[in-house]
Amino acid sequence: MISLNIQKRLHAAGGQMQLQAALEVRQGELVTLYGASGSGKTSILRMLAGLMKPDGGYIRVGDQWWYAADPPVWKSPQQRKVGFVFQDYALFPHMSVQQNLAFALEKGQDRAIVAELLDIMELEALRHKRPGALSGGQKQRVALARALAARPRILLLDEPLSALDYAMRQKLQDYILHVHRKFALTTILVSHDPGEVIKLSDRIYELSEGQMMSVATPEAFFEPGRIRADFTLVGPIETIAREGGRYVLRVRVGDNSIKLTADQPEIAHWTPGDRVELVSAAGGASLRRLGEP
Amino acid sequence: MEEINWGPLALTLQLAGVTTAILFVVSLPLAWWLSQSRSGWKPVVEALVSMPLVLPPTVLGFYFLLAFSPGSFFGGWLNEQFGLKLVFSFEGLVAASVVYSLPFMVHPIYSGLSGLPPSLSEAAYVMGKTKLTTFFRVLLPNMRASVLTGLVLSFAHTVGEFGVVLMIGGNIPDKTRVASIAIYEEVEALNYAEANVYSLVLFVISFAILLLVYLINGGYLKKHWR
Amino acid sequence: MKIYVWLRTAMWASLTLLTACRSPEPAKLTIATAANMQFAMEALTRAFTTETGIACNLTVSASGKLTAQIREGAPYDVFVAADMKYPDELFKAGLATRAPEAYARGRLVLWSAKPGLEPSLPGLADSAIRHIALANPRTAPYGLAAEEALKRQGLYEALAHKFVYGESIAQATQFISTQAAEAGFTAMSVVLSEQMKGKGRWIEVDPALYAPIDQGIVVLRRAETDGAAAEKFYTFMFSAKAKAILKQFGYEVNE
Repeated sequence: MISLNIQKRLHAAGGQMQLQAALEVRQGELVTLYGASGSGKTSILRMLAGLMKPDGGYIRVGDQWWYAADPPVWKSPQQRKVGFVFQDYALFPHMSVQQNLAFALEKGQDRAIVAELLDIMELEALRHKRPGALSGGQKQRVALARALAARPRILLLDEPLSALDYAMRQKLQDYILHVHRKFALTTILVSHDPGEVIKLSDRIYELSEGQMMSVATPEAFFEPGRIRADFTLVGPIETIAREGGRYVLRVRVGDNSIKLTADQPEIAHWTPGDRVELVSAAGGASLRRLGEP
Repeated sequence: MEEINWGPLALTLQLAGVTTAILFVVSLPLAWWLSQSRSGWKPVVEALVSMPLVLPPTVLGFYFLLAFSPGSFFGGWLNEQFGLKLVFSFEGLVAASVVYSLPFMVHPIYSGLSGLPPSLSEAAYVMGKTKLTTFFRVLLPNMRASVLTGLVLSFAHTVGEFGVVLMIGGNIPDKTRVASIAIYEEVEALNYAEANVYSLVLFVISFAILLLVYLINGGYLKKHWR
Repeated sequence: MKIYVWLRTAMWASLTLLTACRSPEPAKLTIATAANMQFAMEALTRAFTTETGIACNLTVSASGKLTAQIREGAPYDVFVAADMKYPDELFKAGLATRAPEAYARGRLVLWSAKPGLEPSLPGLADSAIRHIALANPRTAPYGLAAEEALKRQGLYEALAHKFVYGESIAQATQFISTQAAEAGFTAMSVVLSEQMKGKGRWIEVDPALYAPIDQGIVVLRRAETDGAAAEKFYTFMFSAKAKAILKQFGYEVNE
């Protein structure tokens, strides 16, 4: 349904970056754009929504051209029908929750959807509150509901959960999956959280420094060549202590703190803060510091 | 002491009111353009808008006199086409005051607009709302303090206008003899008592207006007004 | 110890030098001038300085305004006014050395810089004339005279809505010469001056229509005034040379 191939020169704090991205998203898919901060994921989403203009390429949605370089075609964001969830929620502070949702309705649209969304997102009790009185998780639910009020076919989410804690993130991931299925949406999610990405996506596009590195299903995400393992954990060292002749390390992986015992001599040179990779394979496990050959 | 003539004070308030209303209408698109524009003209426009802050009012008045008197090209054209004479008239004072107080309306509104997160307007655009709708239904309601500051400062500034009016007013009672000019005249004619009354009233009005701005912006009145 | 003595001597020496330098200054007069005399005074002071070597500074404004300023202590040495009333007030207040004497009699003119317009008193009612400029009668004697002349002719009521007031003859002149006002009243000395000569057309207003504008001069009583220099100027204003210049500018003088 969505076919995109765009180029854009981006200006970031560290300098310039050339963004080159190509996407194909089928109707009903939930696709994730995954990568480090500043890799260009948000820019792709914004260009798809019409909030940024590419330097070249094309964007086609269904049988409509939303953007083309030659001959020049450009649909303004008002003309594209998408639901967009912003990283800072972008709720209108002077309107209540219900008014925020109602404002998103199209002219002449049946208002019943507002009540329906309030119900689905469990916002009934909060409908007359202003965004200033809501918690982060509540605001995000409102933002999600508002993005759906006009019944778009496409839902775009720009790192919607990055400001939330682990428990809240889980809950909201469920909401996203729920509405994606209920409303038969085609969804693109931007995230840098591996767990989230694996849980939600049908397919994952990985970006690094403006270039698309790979596209894969979650199962194949940790593809051969990188690791041949049952699991791989990556995270920073929290503490290192010596007990007897061995090293006891605590490594933070996501919201978990993992205690390891190892006796590799090179650990003597490691310090808290170093990123390490713990790989478990059929014969045992290995620990190495990232950045070394 | 003779009866106080309230004419100049009424005229001053009238001038300030009309000027502020016009400035509000004119400044919204101007401030909007400034907040959106990346064109090379932007610094030029910003400088021009800020000029009345630094330019002596008499300079402004002098150029107005030259530009608008029927002997000049522009003034003559206005006179011929519309019978409009912008010197020695209330309309002329309004025109001059709009220029004179322009930065006092544009700056607060521009700064208010710049202070709003871009995602607010972006969210509205993605919802299909036009820029105009977004401006009036999303942006302005979230800038109430800035708008109020602009209105109040423009009004107060026009109340205090003197140099420009002196140059192009002609001191005509009930048309261009505003309070500041009347005070000046009374002092010249050595009627200190009259001058004092006018001055005191103006002082109180200006103070009350500024006090209102600071109360509102400091949030002291939030509980009474949304 | 020796250095200390030397420093102290040096300090006192420079102090005395500084104060001593103050006294022998070239004589200078600050003259408060009524606006209508602006152009004539330039010529008069030029002649005076050539003759006596005393430099003159002019402050030009409406007589009423100058009087107010002088009462509040403005630093003028001589007041060359546009009437007798204002300098008389100063004398009564003890601010002048003697009662004012008239150095000239002023003449009022009706002037227009608008091309094709022939100024006349009845003609002021014409719709082509939207504004008539005059100096503020409350502070400028020529403005008062203009008002008086129009009242005597029975034209004042009909024309009142066209009046614009300059804060002095100078501003009234400015309104007329820039054609902001289509016509107006000013002093004859203005239309005879180098700057305004030949600009537009003017007629003299019949002197019978207004009280004579006897213009008075006083020397002001101030501690800082160089009394000798001021007196010299006062005397000069009644000299034959001064009278000749005044006549050139359209003033009447006592021969």
